Amino acid sequence: MALSDFIAQLDVLEAEATRAFGAVADAAALEAARVEYVGAKAGKLKEAQQGLGKVDKADKPAAGKKFNEAKTAIEAALAAAQERLAVGAETSAQAAFDITRPGRPLRLGKLHPITQTIERMKEIMGRLGFTAVEGPEIEDNWHNFEALNIPLSHPARDPLDNFYLATAAASGELNEATGPDGKPLLLRSQTSTVQIRVMEKTPPPVRIVSLGRVYRPDTADATHYPMFHQIEGLLVDRGVTMAELKSTLRMFCQAYFGGDDDVHIRFRTSFFPFTEPSVEVDMNWPKKAGGTGGWMEMGGAGMVDPNVLRAVGYDPEQVTGFAFGLGVERICMRQHKVRDIRDLYTNDVRFLAQF
Amino acid sequence: MIVSTNWLADYIPLPKSLDALTDRLTITGLNLEGVEQVGADTAIDLEVTSNRPDCLGHIGVAREIAVIFGGQLCKPDPQPKATGPAAKSLVSVDLRASRLSARYTARLIRGVKIAPSPDWLANRLRSVGIATINNVVDATNYVMLEIGQPLHAFDFAKLKGGKIIVREANPAEEFTAIDHKTYTLTPGTCVIADAERAVALGGVMGGADTEVSDATTDVLIEAADFDALAIRGAARRFNLHSPSSYRFERGVDPEGIDWASRRACELILQLAGGTLCEGVVEAGPARPQAAAISLRFAQVPRLLGVEVAPSECRRILTALGCRETKATADTVETIPPTWRADLLREIDLIEEIARIHGYDQIPEDARVPMAPSSRSREDVVLEKVRHAMTAFGFDEAYTLSAVEPELVTAFRPWGEAAPLATRTPVLRRASALRQSIVPSLLGCRRTNETLSNAMIELFEIAKVYLPRAGDLPLEKRFLALTSGGGFVEVKGVVEAVLRQIAPELAVQVKPAKHPLLDAVRSCTLEVNGQPLGVLGELSKAGRQQFELRGAASIAELDLGPVVAAARLVPTAGVLNPYPPVSRDLNVVFDEAVRWADVEAIARGVAGNVLDAIEFQSDDFRDAKYLGEGKKSVLFSITLRSPDGTLTSEAADAVRDKIVAELAAKLAGSLRA
Repeated sequence: MALSDFIAQLDVLEAEATRAFGAVADAAALEAARVEYVGAKAGKLKEAQQGLGKVDKADKPAAGKKFNEAKTAIEAALAAAQERLAVGAETSAQAAFDITRPGRPLRLGKLHPITQTIERMKEIMGRLGFTAVEGPEIEDNWHNFEALNIPLSHPARDPLDNFYLATAAASGELNEATGPDGKPLLLRSQTSTVQIRVMEKTPPPVRIVSLGRVYRPDTADATHYPMFHQIEGLLVDRGVTMAELKSTLRMFCQAYFGGDDDVHIRFRTSFFPFTEPSVEVDMNWPKKAGGTGGWMEMGGAGMVDPNVLRAVGYDPEQVTGFAFGLGVERICMRQHKVRDIRDLYTNDVRFLAQF
Repeated sequence: MIVSTNWLADYIPLPKSLDALTDRLTITGLNLEGVEQVGADTAIDLEVTSNRPDCLGHIGVAREIAVIFGGQLCKPDPQPKATGPAAKSLVSVDLRASRLSARYTARLIRGVKIAPSPDWLANRLRSVGIATINNVVDATNYVMLEIGQPLHAFDFAKLKGGKIIVREANPAEEFTAIDHKTYTLTPGTCVIADAERAVALGGVMGGADTEVSDATTDVLIEAADFDALAIRGAARRFNLHSPSSYRFERGVDPEGIDWASRRACELILQLAGGTLCEGVVEAGPARPQAAAISLRFAQVPRLLGVEVAPSECRRILTALGCRETKATADTVETIPPTWRADLLREIDLIEEIARIHGYDQIPEDARVPMAPSSRSREDVVLEKVRHAMTAFGFDEAYTLSAVEPELVTAFRPWGEAAPLATRTPVLRRASALRQSIVPSLLGCRRTNETLSNAMIELFEIAKVYLPRAGDLPLEKRFLALTSGGGFVEVKGVVEAVLRQIAPELAVQVKPAKHPLLDAVRSCTLEVNGQPLGVLGELSKAGRQQFELRGAASIAELDLGPVVAAARLVPTAGVLNPYPPVSRDLNVVFDEAVRWADVEAIARGVAGNVLDAIEFQSDDFRDAKYLGEGKKSVLFSITLRSPDGTLTSEAADAVRDKIVAELAAKLAGSLRA
């Protein structure tokens, strides 16, 4: 037999066997195909092997090599068919166990969005070198007004704009609640009070942020609530300038909102008793970062008024300082698309679960 | 302050682009609130901060525009011709309340003809949203909107005795205003009176009796200065807020008083005819000239972080109306204009330079020196507590610091003092500053029940306010929670928080006595005899008070001792390399025996081979098997010797010794 005939014969067998094993659908068909092609007695492979003896002696090594290749391929096709059908046999056990069933539920509570906002602000300001401090929410006249350069005649002191405090006497009558100075106590209307408390007991430099609740008599609606949160930053040292204020605010906003986009800060002239010059701070919030692309109001800022520095015993000829105050709710609501500030304080667990 | 562009153009050429104008005004201090087209005119609504009453008139805004965009401010110089007899022969001004009114001036015009205003005047007033009345009243309003000085026109014939008396209101004095409402006045209020009665609430509103009507022929024009605080008090007290009171509350230009008076007379003569009496009848001194302020040029970059040339500083100040009295290479001395009472100090001048030079000139990429910052111990601990609570499945709530008064007394384990209260409620009826967070959280619980929310597990970290007479209250920070679980679940949460954060805190458990809580299934926690916390299931009464349908429990923990005792930097100990041996124990006790005592005895007996002791259950109490009033306490001990592998016999010996000791001290018996 010519070598070429032998090879052709084996090619046909290999193709036929592979097709047959690939087509079997159950164990019986597989067994039939196995007997037909690789049966030890009368299988077609066995039969082809006999052809090996008939080729020329010189061609024997090439023919043997070809035979082994065909044998390996056919046996592989058999093994693949066996494996395919064996997998099928496991399906009933698999069907009985539902891998799509949920795992054992673990309930992870959520941090309030205000906490998340505050923590993020503190973290960023911390990286910028500002240490977070706290102060009392109930303040005296000195810290809420006097030391902040808010004179008695200033409208900010108006009882209609502040929550002055009283205590109920046994008779039910309200008596004015007074501080150590004998003047009325009130719920603080701004976190700037903490600046005073820190500066009073710390010589410069001072580099702090204070965060917390503040209170103003606003009628509650979608954008107002009588209690809200502020972040207040203060840096007092030799040679602190308004350029540093603007740059610090830019770095804060860049870290908070910007990502890869450049954030810019705009100052608008404003008026606050405790800073001079005083400005409103706007930030351009890039569209890519989820913003509107326009100017977004962030809060108020300015250079610490010399009267404030003097009130805490600092010398305005020696040190200068900047201060800024941003509303936490406004930033939180913009970022998380909270539509009504009252939702933040209703504590509907479905609302809280979103954060 | 709404300004009309047509009107502004009387005093200063406006830039072509309205946007350029409003953008620049916004940056320099007059924040744009809105723009509206009114006929052929444009009305611009500008927000004026309380320190800038000079911009409550068109001339003030025009001056700002002149300073920003350049150009010469063209301010009228009214010189009305007086052809009548001397005013002081016909009217007197008696200023008796100089604390309430520093200065009062009156001019008199006789023989006017009251008529509607001409179109040009009516249109201007309409543009800025002011109603037209008649030519005389409109003229006074026009001048107020022009220069910011409120004026008032009296029907002179109605002023009894030809007298103006400026005085404090008498107690219970009655006054009928232009709005035809009668007000009962109180001392502290400034009234303008004639020989017999009050005819105006000074600076706030005129009186009905003396208002200018169609029959009026002689008018007295008042131009005065009233005390800002007194005006604000009166406007608030009588809820009479007017463009006039708004301006006096912020202060008027003392030099503008006479200008406004002359300007109004000039306009009235032009619009309504008549004869102006000669001179002005006035009382109260002219305000002394403001002192010169010295500006050191070096202070400008020291504060702003940007150089502004001295020539530019001087240009800005002069354009704003400051008068230079002295200038050197390093400093300039100027007297601020009378309409800028807010300019008193060097820093005030620096702000003027900053805003006019432009805040956009200040760089936003300056180098800020680095500085280390640190987190406070409290901050670190609170974060740990919050994260533990969320891991335990609690959502964080934020509730109002004030509550309805009855909610303070509903639950206050931390103090009994009468609560601090706001004079006006913070929200609805919430006026009392809380002394516990629990009532607020139970309120949230009810809200969530109402919303049919199934899982209501809430916590809050906030302050409570414990009053101290004559001092700031003690503000203490607490962790509070409410859960749908029972005593065991809530205690587990509290114990886990304490174990995680302050494992060294030696907590004792005592029975709690709060009507809000179930008398049996509640307890207080103490550290060294000081209260640390309280927890338990709500009593039936408690659930009723908060209108709760489902089971509810609470806990509240003083975070002060937790922060103090928190282990912030854990240290690694040596781990015992030998295998543990466990033994389960089932001991029958009287029901009154406490686990804490059982545990203490077991620990004492086992000594240093005790690795862990774990309570399993004490639920089995069947009298049939145990006898009456008995319980079976199931617990396990894990033993490990520090010296080598503990043998089974040694472990049995420890167990037996524990059982013997429990029998001796607590009458416990091993359950067969």
